[in-house]
Amino acid sequence: MNEVLSVKGLGKSFKNTRVVKNIDFDVHKGEIMAVLGPNGAGKSTTIRSIMGILLPDEGSVTFHNHDQDGVPRHKIGYLPEERGLYKKVKVMDILLYFAELKDYPLDRAKERALEYLKKFDLEGKENVSVDELSKGMGQKVQFIGSVIHEPELLILDEPFSGLDPVSQEVFKQEIKDLAKKGTAILLSSHQMNLVEEMCDRLFLIHRGQKVVYGSMDEVKEQYANFKCTIHGDNDRSMLEKIDQVERVEQKDDISILYLSSDVVVSDWIKQLPSNLDIQELSVDRISLHEIFVDIATDRSLAQEAGVVDAK
Amino acid sequence: MRNSWKVAKWEIKRNLKSKSFLISLFLTPIIFAIFATVPTLLSDSGEDQDSQPAQTTVYLNDEVGIWDQLEPMVSKSDDLHWDVELTDQSSDEMTTTLEEETRAVYIHLGESALESGTVDYYTSEEVPDSFQYEVQLFEQPLRYVQLERTGLDESEIQSAMTPISFNQNEVKMEAENDVEDEQAQGVEAFLEKFIPGVFAGLVLFSIAITGMMVFQSASEEKKEKVAEIILSSVTAGELMQGKIIGYFVLGILQVTVWIGMALPVALALVDYPIIKYLLVPETLLFLLIAVLGYLMFASIFVGLGATLEDSSSGSNFQGFVFMIPWLPFIFLGPVISNPESTLSQVLSYVPFTSPGIMILRLSILDEWPWVQIFISLAILIVSIWLLMKLAGKIFRIGILIYGKNATLPEIWKWLRS
Repeated sequence: MNEVLSVKGLGKSFKNTRVVKNIDFDVHKGEIMAVLGPNGAGKSTTIRSIMGILLPDEGSVTFHNHDQDGVPRHKIGYLPEERGLYKKVKVMDILLYFAELKDYPLDRAKERALEYLKKFDLEGKENVSVDELSKGMGQKVQFIGSVIHEPELLILDEPFSGLDPVSQEVFKQEIKDLAKKGTAILLSSHQMNLVEEMCDRLFLIHRGQKVVYGSMDEVKEQYANFKCTIHGDNDRSMLEKIDQVERVEQKDDISILYLSSDVVVSDWIKQLPSNLDIQELSVDRISLHEIFVDIATDRSLAQEAGVVDAK
Repeated sequence: MRNSWKVAKWEIKRNLKSKSFLISLFLTPIIFAIFATVPTLLSDSGEDQDSQPAQTTVYLNDEVGIWDQLEPMVSKSDDLHWDVELTDQSSDEMTTTLEEETRAVYIHLGESALESGTVDYYTSEEVPDSFQYEVQLFEQPLRYVQLERTGLDESEIQSAMTPISFNQNEVKMEAENDVEDEQAQGVEAFLEKFIPGVFAGLVLFSIAITGMMVFQSASEEKKEKVAEIILSSVTAGELMQGKIIGYFVLGILQVTVWIGMALPVALALVDYPIIKYLLVPETLLFLLIAVLGYLMFASIFVGLGATLEDSSSGSNFQGFVFMIPWLPFIFLGPVISNPESTLSQVLSYVPFTSPGIMILRLSILDEWPWVQIFISLAILIVSIWLLMKLAGKIFRIGILIYGKNATLPEIWKWLRS
């Protein structure tokens, strides 16, 4: 694969607190790589270190296809988590300023800006002052600003935060399209459901450390085991005795049975004890969301996952 | 550096397109002009009501017979607003007339006045106080008549009446020049420094104001959260430099517009050849000091702006920093009254006051203390270098901290990191 960015052994401390450590990952051309993790996990610190906005204490950030030292700022598009726009300027002016900062030819930039405004349903807004835009419109303009110079690498820190579902869909589609055209995309998010559908590979980070790293399919295969949800009044000890059940969670009448990874679902259902109280039963895979919540709340699965991965 | 220019260009363009900047650009000199002229206009207007100054009626009982000599003088004079009416009435008879009129005087030039040397005159109400000087007009002719009667001839009278005057002749190192020339040179030398000084003061004042705009701009960058997007294209140092340069250009532009508006007015009102005195080598030094002053304040403000999200909620500390450019004003009086005093010298070495105080001192001092100037400039340049470093540290960290204003201990921590 054609690597665009490699991060190796990245570590950063603020005062005496270690915010991130031993972060290793690559971003390839034309793929969407997601950095996932709960709030405060170190996602933004990692991204800011890549951008050179923060100086990492240890480790290296390598931009391939770039000979000189330092961050090839002109080849990167960056949408930070905390973002905004100057208030009393016209939409087109600020987009052209962003393009100029990247040394992108202004006539091309203008063309692209108009194209994107049209695409994002903002046609005719180019001469409107930024403070007249709604929040969603503003976010679209920020997004355009980050891709206006056709970056090789696009870094999006929480691109979906604060967006309505319609805009989320628009962004998602655009990000996928960009990847298809060959842009390497690194995005961070805590909205698993969105990421699950679009990313090729993911890096799950918790408390500044790697928890899971791999392609979406690998991760699902490795961690997304089956779980069985049973509605009914059942005794926990009885449920735990069932074959291939690794863990049981109970809340009121609902019991969730986490199954081992080698389970064959059809066989497993056949051997369920007949005295179980089953009002409703469903079997499905653990979603990325659940892995994430587990990790964020430090539950057993997370630790297991961590151990498995560490091997 | 190229990136700094891009940022600077943007800041300039953004401000030139903003209404508030344009309004203040053109309105400030107009407001200044209003404040400068309205009070004088108002105080004048009382007297301006009837354009012709009020006339004083002078009833003259001229028994001595000197009026014929004086008449052409009085009627031609612009300063004397007299309506002279000859009369032969006595003072007692005139009393009623004076009581009836508001601005009337009765003067009796009689034999008794010649003998005693005292001329009595009677005034009604509202005769201006200045009349007591105007009436001196009669002194010389009366004295002439007096002397004539003692039997002196023409030349004797002339010499008796010539007053003795005393002329001061200061002895200087180069005493070749005659007195008048030297005086003219003194005025010229003064203007040569004073006018560039006033000019530099204006420049400093204007860029102190744009220094405040640097502060606002940095604070806005933080508040509107654009900083991080910009920092993906340029470094924090370049962004900071760009802002400082951008607002410097805006400040210069402001001064140019102000001077462009003020100079024609000044040229029309003042007789001195202002432009001639402005285009002297001294102006360069003054400008250098003003520019250094700007760089210092701008770096303080750009750092400070990065610590504040909302400029209205600045704590006491930040408020205090805001006062720094105005410090020299506190010492205005003592420095003007004694520009060579120890206080004045010390203030020229304190970086925060030195630009203002140096400009002030150099405008009024005859001889420039070159050693002091160099020390002061050296201190200033070193301070700027240091302050820029510190501001860079504060800016780099502060601009990315969202949602709160930095406290003094926090800023201290950043400085030490």
